[in-house]
Amino acid sequence: MQDRRTLTDIQVNETLTNTVLKTPLLWYVIVAFMGGIVLLGVLAVGLLVNLGQGLNGYNRPVMWAFFLTNMVFWIGISHAGVMLSAILRLAQAEFRRPATRAAEVLTVFALATAGLMPIVHLGRLWRAYWVFPYDFSRGIWPDIRSQAVWDPHAISTYLIGSSLFIFVALIPDLAVLRDRTTGIVHSIYTLLALGWRGTVRQWRLQAIAGIILSALLLPVFVSVHSIVSWDFSMLIGVPSWHTTIFAPYFVIGAVHSGVAGVITVMILMRWLFGWHDYIRREHIDSLGRLLFVVALAWFFFFMLEFMFGLYHQEGTEMVVRELWLFHAPWNAIFVIFILTAFIIPVPLWLFRSVRRSFPLMFFTTILVNIGMWLERFLLIIPGLMRKQPFTFSWGEYAPSVFEIIIITATFALVATMILLFARAFPLIPLGDAKEARVLRDEIRIGRRTVQAVLREE
Amino acid sequence: MASEEVARDVLQRTFVKGGRYRQAVIVLAAVFLLGVVGFILKLGQDRTQWGYYAATFSYLFTVAQTAPVVSVAMRLAKNHWRRPLARASELFAVVGLFNLLLFIPLLILLPSIEGRNTIWILGVWPSRFYTPHIFDTLMLVGLVVLGLLFLWTAAVPDFAAARDQRGGQGRYAFLAMGWQGTVRQWRVQRALLGLLGGLYFMDVLTTHFLIASDFSMGLVPGWVDSIYPAFHAITGLQAAVAVTIVTMFLLRTVGGYREYLPMESFWGLSKILLALSLMWFYFWWSAFITFWYGRMPVEQNIVQLIMFGPYRPFFVTAFLFCCIFAIGLLIWNPLRKSPAALAAIATMILVGGFFDRMRLYVSSWSLATTTDHTLTTVPAAIWPQVPDLLVIAGGLAGAVLVYLLATRIVPVMSIWEMKELRLYQVPRQLVRRRMLSLGKPD
Repeated sequence: MQDRRTLTDIQVNETLTNTVLKTPLLWYVIVAFMGGIVLLGVLAVGLLVNLGQGLNGYNRPVMWAFFLTNMVFWIGISHAGVMLSAILRLAQAEFRRPATRAAEVLTVFALATAGLMPIVHLGRLWRAYWVFPYDFSRGIWPDIRSQAVWDPHAISTYLIGSSLFIFVALIPDLAVLRDRTTGIVHSIYTLLALGWRGTVRQWRLQAIAGIILSALLLPVFVSVHSIVSWDFSMLIGVPSWHTTIFAPYFVIGAVHSGVAGVITVMILMRWLFGWHDYIRREHIDSLGRLLFVVALAWFFFFMLEFMFGLYHQEGTEMVVRELWLFHAPWNAIFVIFILTAFIIPVPLWLFRSVRRSFPLMFFTTILVNIGMWLERFLLIIPGLMRKQPFTFSWGEYAPSVFEIIIITATFALVATMILLFARAFPLIPLGDAKEARVLRDEIRIGRRTVQAVLREE
Repeated sequence: MASEEVARDVLQRTFVKGGRYRQAVIVLAAVFLLGVVGFILKLGQDRTQWGYYAATFSYLFTVAQTAPVVSVAMRLAKNHWRRPLARASELFAVVGLFNLLLFIPLLILLPSIEGRNTIWILGVWPSRFYTPHIFDTLMLVGLVVLGLLFLWTAAVPDFAAARDQRGGQGRYAFLAMGWQGTVRQWRVQRALLGLLGGLYFMDVLTTHFLIASDFSMGLVPGWVDSIYPAFHAITGLQAAVAVTIVTMFLLRTVGGYREYLPMESFWGLSKILLALSLMWFYFWWSAFITFWYGRMPVEQNIVQLIMFGPYRPFFVTAFLFCCIFAIGLLIWNPLRKSPAALAAIATMILVGGFFDRMRLYVSSWSLATTTDHTLTTVPAAIWPQVPDLLVIAGGLAGAVLVYLLATRIVPVMSIWEMKELRLYQVPRQLVRRRMLSLGKPD
């Protein structure tokens, strides 16, 4: 059943621009709190720069830990944007409408945060630009065979593409804000709106631009996380990483955590901004079904990765699986991971009543992202701890307080940036909401009235 | 066309077959018998000479037994354009019976898992001789049973329509299982389709995993490729969509079902085919780059064996047909909007798919020793002999023959789904444009 009430264009405009024109007090409180955590993270980074990466306890063999885990996690979250916005736009799925802008915004800010992680990891942050072929006079070119060169190029391509994607879709909404503001704010919106008047030609061009960008971003979306996965899988020095499944496994895991993240954000938006007419049970029901299918696909790839780690019974791979299953605290982390990423949420999503419940979907999607963070943690660190066949070269790892503060700060950073974005731009596309109203229909079949959607013949 | 006319028309085409149908059956039966002759000629040959037979079995499993997944997946997506093609794809489940027969010699030929890499690492069976034979057979038999049950459940309302048209007696009375079209029966049917479809989908993926691991990868020492079962499944899905398109085209042109198979169904499948062709490249590239980059000798030998070495012509053909040409052609809207062009591209993909199976299975089966730790030398190519060609032709002809014979009993167009479509589709006018209002079932 679909619960909705008919809204006029004026009501749509007023409600969805409320966050920009009349911001609730709670917004300021949350931003201040999150900003404080971000500041703490900046201080921790400052200390690391000043006193060195040794504060994190990085040493052979575990050179990559929390920061890389967090980078992979946030790149994973960023995949929701293209998944929901581009793919569902091309598939003409109606349930995408309230989710697209939030997903795209989450993509951009998650990507930016992910891009910060390897820079923080560098130690000498000011040398990060060396990965780009900017200077001919040094006589040193970036090594194109190195994963450290692929990642920045892939991430920056995706970031630029996603930003463009958001902006193109935002233009009509910027025009609405232009027409409702005065003073310097009006001037800024006028500049950004690029002369939008809502003519037939402009709408047609905007739709075509959206479709072309969707089609162009799709290969970028697949390639970015595949390239990140190849950071690990192409290395022959860490046997548990050297497996062919990593690329699609990482991508499907990214979609799994990304879509879960978007659902979390949507439910928060509904609560914070009072958008009960725009984010309805039918939307999270449809997204929940999508998430169910994605979770099953993810589990298939997870099983393949796990099983083929045992396939040839090489010692270096067996010890990593042994660590996961039989040694504390790794076995506890493994159990928590598999429970939260799959066993608890996925069977719950089989039930329509769960998929249509906002509290339960919020709870299960949070669980998924806890599980997916732990999944990346389990993939990266145990492999490094046991990468050599000689036991004397094995190492251990425990996170430092600086890492924990910085990781927490990244979550606060993404939340802060989304809230700041919501202060300046509407988080649900006005045009999409109005178009949904126009295309909505009902048909009678016997004694039942069935919801319908208008499509071109 | 009114609903009752749809039922009458489709059933008439099911019961009465023309001269072309009979000719096709005769020709296919003759080719199948030649295949049997080829099989007899191969008896007594060494295991390394049975690669083409294994490739034929794998190809038929890939194409025919994965085809019902097209209907299952589209049913889950609740779109309407799947309705005209649903039965045509579900009918491929009957080919599973034929493929089960082809499976038996492979079970006998498969070497023991002692001393070689295998997914059956725990030796779960008391005697390792029965592993993987028992489990693989169970999965394949399960797949066939699930496919037939799914087909039957989906066709029950149509069997009832046929029973009523024939006076309530005969085989359709049995097949209809007392169907009266009550609300409860429809609910039960919908629930069963969901359950059986889900189980079928999971069984297909598992069987792809088992067939790829036990009958291909496990025969090559040192080949550890975690993406290979997924690649096998994705190429299977691509071939399944391609064969559905070809079948739809033949039904539309030769079968006279033009009115039931609108452009929208071809258009919908064409986008999926494009996506799967892109995924073909993606999954192949993930495997290749991981093996190639590290320059480890065993992985370089694997790449030589299955791609750039003795079976390079097979690989190049498969790569061009399934990937490069497929993507290059399918991105063009005018081609995707033409059923004939789409059918030609789908046929090309099916040909490429067969070459892909040949390069994977002939190369795997060509190794005399399966118990080495790694692959140290790449053997020379084994090219098909006359018995191999007869077996390939006979296998393909037998599969098509089984499908054709099934269309004598099961209507190839889903009557109840076409009737339902007419209820869910209502023409509307939006300002100056004619639109269709499509109902969204809950």
